[in-house]
Amino acid sequence: MKKITYIGMLAGALLVSSITSCTKDFLQEPAQGALGDEVLANRAGVEKLLIGSYGVLDGVVGVGNPWESSPDNWIYGSVAGGDAHKGSDGGDQPAIDPIAKFIADGSNGFFNSRWRTLYDGVTTANSVLALLARTEGIPETDQKNLAGQARFLRGHYYFELKKLFNMVPWIDENTTDFNQPNDQDIWPMIEADFQFAYDNLPPAQSDVGRANKWAAGAYLAKTYMYQQKFNEAKAIYDVVIPQGQTSNGLKYGLTERFKDNFDAATENNKESVFAVQMVSGDGTNTIANANNGWMLNYPYGNSPFRCCGFYQPTQELVNSYRTTTAGLPVIDGYNQQPVKNDMGVSSAADFVPDAGRLDPRLDWTVGRRGLPYHDWGYHPGASWIRLQSYGGPYAPKKNIYWQSTQDQHSDQSSWAPGNAINVLIIRFADVLLMAAEAEAQVGSLAKAQEYVNLVRARAASEESWLHDYEDPSDPLAGFSDDPAANYVISVYPAGHFSGLGKEAALRAIYFERKLELAMEGHRFFDLVRWGIAEETLNAYFQYESTITTDIRGGRFVSGKNEYYPIPNFQIDLSVIDGTPMLQQNPNYN
Amino acid sequence: MSACAVRISMLSVLLSLAVSPAFASSLIQKQIVGKITDEQGQPLPGVSINIKGSTQGTSSNETGTYSINASPSDILVFKSLGYATVERSVGNESEVNVQLKTDVQSLEQIVVTGYATQRKKDLTGAVSVVDVSEMTQQPVGQVTSQLQGRASGVTILGGGQPGEAPQIRIRGINTFGNNSPLFVVDGVPTTNINDLNPNDIETMQVLKDAGAASIYGSRAANGVITITTKSGKGKIKVNYDAFYGVQTVQQGNVWDILTPQEMADLQWMAKRNTDPDVTPSDDLYGSGERPVLPDYIAPKGLMEGDPGVNPDLYNVNPFYTSPSDADAFYRISRANKEGTDWFHEIFSNAPTTSHNVQVSGSSDAAQYLFSMNYLNQQGTLINTYLKRYSLRSNTNFNVNERIRVGENISFSVMENPTVDARTEGSAIGMALRQQPIIPVRDIMGNYAGSFGGIGNAQNPVAIQERRGNNKGLARRLFGNVFAEVDVIDNLTFRTSFGGELWSGNYRSFAYPTYENAENTGTNSYSENSNHGYNWTWTNTLQYKQVFNEIHDLTLIAGTEGYRNTGGDVGGQTFGYFSFDPDFTNLGTGSGTQTNFSNRYVDALFSYFGRVDYIFKDRYLFGATLRRDGSSRFLKEQFGWFPAVSAGWRLSEESFMSDLDWLNDLKVRVGYGVMGNQLNVDPANAFTTYGSDRQQTFYDIGGTGNTIVEGFKRNRVGNPDAIWEKNINSNIGFDATMFGGKLNITADYYRKDIDDLLYNPALSATAGQATVPFVNVAAMKNSGIDIAASTFFDVTSDLKLDLTGTFTTYNNEIVSVSQSADYFDQEGRRFNGSTIVRNQLGHSVGQFFGYQIEGFWDSQEEIDAAGSGYQNDVAVGRFRYADTDGDGQVTPDDRVFLGNPNPDFSYGLNIGATYKQFDFGIFLYGVVGNDLWNNVKWWHDFYSSFGGAKSKTALYDSWRPDNLNAKAPIQETAGSFSSANVPNSYFVEKGSYLRAKNAQLGYTFSPSLLEGIKVDRLRIYVQAANLFTITNYSGLDPEVSGGTTNFGIDEGTYPSQRQFLFGVNLTF
Repeated sequence: MKKITYIGMLAGALLVSSITSCTKDFLQEPAQGALGDEVLANRAGVEKLLIGSYGVLDGVVGVGNPWESSPDNWIYGSVAGGDAHKGSDGGDQPAIDPIAKFIADGSNGFFNSRWRTLYDGVTTANSVLALLARTEGIPETDQKNLAGQARFLRGHYYFELKKLFNMVPWIDENTTDFNQPNDQDIWPMIEADFQFAYDNLPPAQSDVGRANKWAAGAYLAKTYMYQQKFNEAKAIYDVVIPQGQTSNGLKYGLTERFKDNFDAATENNKESVFAVQMVSGDGTNTIANANNGWMLNYPYGNSPFRCCGFYQPTQELVNSYRTTTAGLPVIDGYNQQPVKNDMGVSSAADFVPDAGRLDPRLDWTVGRRGLPYHDWGYHPGASWIRLQSYGGPYAPKKNIYWQSTQDQHSDQSSWAPGNAINVLIIRFADVLLMAAEAEAQVGSLAKAQEYVNLVRARAASEESWLHDYEDPSDPLAGFSDDPAANYVISVYPAGHFSGLGKEAALRAIYFERKLELAMEGHRFFDLVRWGIAEETLNAYFQYESTITTDIRGGRFVSGKNEYYPIPNFQIDLSVIDGTPMLQQNPNYN
Repeated sequence: MSACAVRISMLSVLLSLAVSPAFASSLIQKQIVGKITDEQGQPLPGVSINIKGSTQGTSSNETGTYSINASPSDILVFKSLGYATVERSVGNESEVNVQLKTDVQSLEQIVVTGYATQRKKDLTGAVSVVDVSEMTQQPVGQVTSQLQGRASGVTILGGGQPGEAPQIRIRGINTFGNNSPLFVVDGVPTTNINDLNPNDIETMQVLKDAGAASIYGSRAANGVITITTKSGKGKIKVNYDAFYGVQTVQQGNVWDILTPQEMADLQWMAKRNTDPDVTPSDDLYGSGERPVLPDYIAPKGLMEGDPGVNPDLYNVNPFYTSPSDADAFYRISRANKEGTDWFHEIFSNAPTTSHNVQVSGSSDAAQYLFSMNYLNQQGTLINTYLKRYSLRSNTNFNVNERIRVGENISFSVMENPTVDARTEGSAIGMALRQQPIIPVRDIMGNYAGSFGGIGNAQNPVAIQERRGNNKGLARRLFGNVFAEVDVIDNLTFRTSFGGELWSGNYRSFAYPTYENAENTGTNSYSENSNHGYNWTWTNTLQYKQVFNEIHDLTLIAGTEGYRNTGGDVGGQTFGYFSFDPDFTNLGTGSGTQTNFSNRYVDALFSYFGRVDYIFKDRYLFGATLRRDGSSRFLKEQFGWFPAVSAGWRLSEESFMSDLDWLNDLKVRVGYGVMGNQLNVDPANAFTTYGSDRQQTFYDIGGTGNTIVEGFKRNRVGNPDAIWEKNINSNIGFDATMFGGKLNITADYYRKDIDDLLYNPALSATAGQATVPFVNVAAMKNSGIDIAASTFFDVTSDLKLDLTGTFTTYNNEIVSVSQSADYFDQEGRRFNGSTIVRNQLGHSVGQFFGYQIEGFWDSQEEIDAAGSGYQNDVAVGRFRYADTDGDGQVTPDDRVFLGNPNPDFSYGLNIGATYKQFDFGIFLYGVVGNDLWNNVKWWHDFYSSFGGAKSKTALYDSWRPDNLNAKAPIQETAGSFSSANVPNSYFVEKGSYLRAKNAQLGYTFSPSLLEGIKVDRLRIYVQAANLFTITNYSGLDPEVSGGTTNFGIDEGTYPSQRQFLFGVNLTF
């Protein structure tokens, strides 16, 4: 009995003490499936972090829905700029409606998503720079290249923040307190980043997706243009335009065919100054890297695209492509010669498209009833449109993949399509048109016209036109030599801009920019930059409200709507002792 | 042998002499014999039988029989722990058979608390003891669902889906994360009892305050539910319990959906309201003054006789394998002009079956119990069900007088396909949206749908039928082995090693669709499995001694180690040549293959001790202390969790002894600290970098089809996280009155959660890595729990008993983060504003948005308010309240619109027996909560997608001749002033009263059964969810959800009425 007692007590004591002694080890559990930063502190690790920062370019970082931070700003630049309607129907993505009508406030979750995504880009670029600074043994040229790319990317993310929100806090690789005020103009810092990249990046890169010296130069000039620093911009353009080349070593130029800018099969061409590289069939079985931000922007109804009928070009935009007998744009009064549409006409009923003079770029920008929609067949009108009375009769086109190459360039692994068409952040036509502005402002109108005419000449080349199908019953059989519409377009005759004078020449350049870059996310920011947003957009609301119901009541208010509101939640997150560090933009509550 | 031990041995000899019959008087006595049984007719051994007022007594043997000498004037008192005491006068009887009823209210009842057992009357903590036999009558699979309304202080929110584990809240909401209590089953902690067979449960108690629960320190903050499973008693016996029942689906137009013609009329109305000058037209309904229903919806809008509906044109291959094949499809579907009732296309009556066999018994050397259960609860929704097979073996061997070893092991296998109810993508969400003009099938029997833009919902029948071959099987082994050694008298060492080992595998096939407006063109097969185990090793030493008959002392000290590890693995392949379920596996597809895996590991180590001291049966004192270490923390892994509690049995005091009606009154107070670390990710302490193919990879080479690996910081670490503390005070009383006929337990509590571990959003400028949990938040809860029971005999045959519970909690958020004092959830389809705001000073989960003041009835009204008053203003739309009075409706005018937390909930069980009949009904109610009826967003606004609409939209929306409308003017576009922002239109009162269960049973008299060797036979009929009284307009007022976002109804899986027949057989 006694023996058992003691054995029992001893055993108990041993058990307890043996567990106690190993408790420390018992509770040590490292993180699973992840790395500490010490593993990355070398050339290869910094490189991986840099790729991670490029990875933010497509806007997919797990924040909100992908379309809320699409890298082409189709909502904030094109829908808000009057290029397009939100589309779909009235209850779908209702957060976009107030953005389109300029009645959105800082509680709108889309702004928060865009803001968060862009600052994630800033953070990833900063982490490259921070790790680079404390990693030894990287050759100087590599260091410069890595740092140059990181600063280029950071410059891009801040450029986006700046043009969307204006007053934003500056965070760099040395910032330790992330709660910084938005009380300073960050243009100088953005300039510094692009200047560093321009000075340090090589003219060609091992991978076409990387930023090079010339992309940095073009972006630096664009940064100047947004500040009306036309002399500085012109100086850069004077170098970039004649000398610039793409990362894969192609001398900058316009592609022979306008449409090649919008086809995955012909991308990374000589016109692609800097682009977000998109893929399809990348092995993820998702469309996260396949233009996820565009997934809503395909024709609907019984179209072969399945979803979702967003991003429908406006009648006002379509009318802009009307040309004069001389093949020049109708800069004033284009809405008085509206392009015929198929509103209220069912797909079963007959419809004859507009027979008037048009700029051929219209039909690579807008899908309209009765014209070839790439190689998918004639756009059938209403049956591909969700609600004509709400979003209008048109479909987008620059983001649409081709039927013949859909297996390579589209990705059907989600509920809406993905595709491999790059998002063009800057293409050479954009560079030329900005350079034209700079010339018109501080240089020569003749030079400005020369730049504009380069762009128009490409559009006017018959190679750039849309042609009818060889065999209408088999759209895949190719195109005939018959133009799909009555295209009448020519370059400006010699001395035209000089004859117009600076102001009118600028208006012609602005209009050219609208025609060339429509639906590419630039329009709203250009209008603000030019200081003509109020007059232009309020006229647009007045005209377009007679066509569709979606934007009725829209009104741009000067002194307020030039910039979007700082997301309310971010302001609330910046509160210290009851006082927010971030200040709301003027005239937003 | 120690001197102490000798004294105790001698004492026990004396005691045993005292109760031996040799000392009893034996005047004019006769022998009385009899049998004592429990409620199930099982013989009860060990029942003490005493003659009232004397020391004479005996106890029942293994077969439940006894014999005693007594005189006719004597009264026999039958007593057994856990049973209500019964008194019978002898009279002329020579045989006195007694049935004892379990009595949870019995003060002598043994209650399982933390690492100990206590008599109920000795409790100083707040403990709800559940009447298990009443509870388990509810014919549902989950014990946790059955618990609803059965224990005060416990709020349970569930739903009608088989196998859906409900949300359990013990005394309010303690965290923004996982709020589930800790379950301790036969001493083994676990967070999951979904597979526990309710028939195996012997006792269940809810430890609610720190005094009772804080011995479980680290994991006690959400409350603790201790469960013991049954063991064998007495002679070998077999119980067979079975029921079969049918759940019946509610009838009628449950969502109040318009007919197809009315749908067309509504469209015309909305179009006219939006564009008065335009003649409405639609490719389905034509153009003109009145819409005309077509004969065909595919091709859209065609009439009978049109060449386009020639069946020869039909071309649909439902099993197409290339996305582009669908481009050539030619669909022909007739319009269902009568209207398809989508609810009843996916919901239908469904059977439930349960069979339970239990074999048990005991001898001096061992107790044993073996049980098996088969439960098959078919869901009323197509292809949802819970099939569960469970086995249990509990044994206990008395190796010798001082050593006992045993095990409790259960093994379960479950199949439980479910749907994500309350979300728009589920079959239920689609059924409420799919237009009634769409038939289920097209002219060739393939699925019909919204193709061509007849709304954009999916065919809900197709969704559920396509899931028919999706299979999943979850397995779990749960239990422990233990040994107890009485080291010396009064000192017991116990070691228990237990835990769980689980795995599950699931496979599903995603078919391409062709019938919907938005189709999926690909097919894919997915398979995944999860696996893991955890173990808990507990060692305790318990010393229990009564000194001088007035000092009752119990001391317990122990250690506990816990380690949990597991992970999951899975893959997906696209592109199958054939969809034959016998063909598809991860290897047989031609398309891209993906795979994934994850794993986790975490550990806890603890020391604990407890003291219970009772002086003179009158003054009770308890103290517990636990020190816990967690692997989830890095710098300070250990925390202290103390608690003290005290009780005073006033009724033992002389000044109360005059109160004859008061049998027992005890007041209790308790104070202590409980901990929580459940929500903290095991990797929380570390800043880590990682890759993600979807986010950090990039096609840097511009290939168009290949992505290159990139890294990114994916987690911000917080090495400084420490224990969350739940500081808890409780005051309460237990009273027994009128000879035990009325029992009341009531408690008031207050809980302050400090250092609450929460991961508030970081400023975007910090990047998008996973945010760490930091000790930043705080919350408080207070409330009242009351449980009362009474029983009385109406006549000698008709006996009634009533049990009621009453629960309140009042939750308040005290801190969210250092910057923003709120966080938002549930954007749904609104414009980026959210439905739920969890804000400082308010309860968790409150609804937030614009307060509707009425409609804008005229342009004059709008002009009077001023053009800047409200965005998107138009006649017939909502007028919002300018709550801050600045003359404009801005985001700052949003207010709290409702609270999904109830004022109180209650349960009432009424039981009656009349001769061989028994009857019981259980009512459960919730009062004072609000619900967010998001179904209205789809149904009451024409602009909210082209789906099915409600009668409200057509008949009770604003019109110039209907100013006193429910819904606003119907238009083709949504707006800020109608349905684009969360507003008070969607908030409804959620109170309800439901008859959860009603049962009528008949027990055959033992004399009838003797011949067939049956001890007991009872048959019963039962109705679950017999009626519900509520003003809520949705399908079911019981709307569950997450911890901080619940009560949002976007298509619930309703609890259905159920009728059952059952049998209880013992032999």
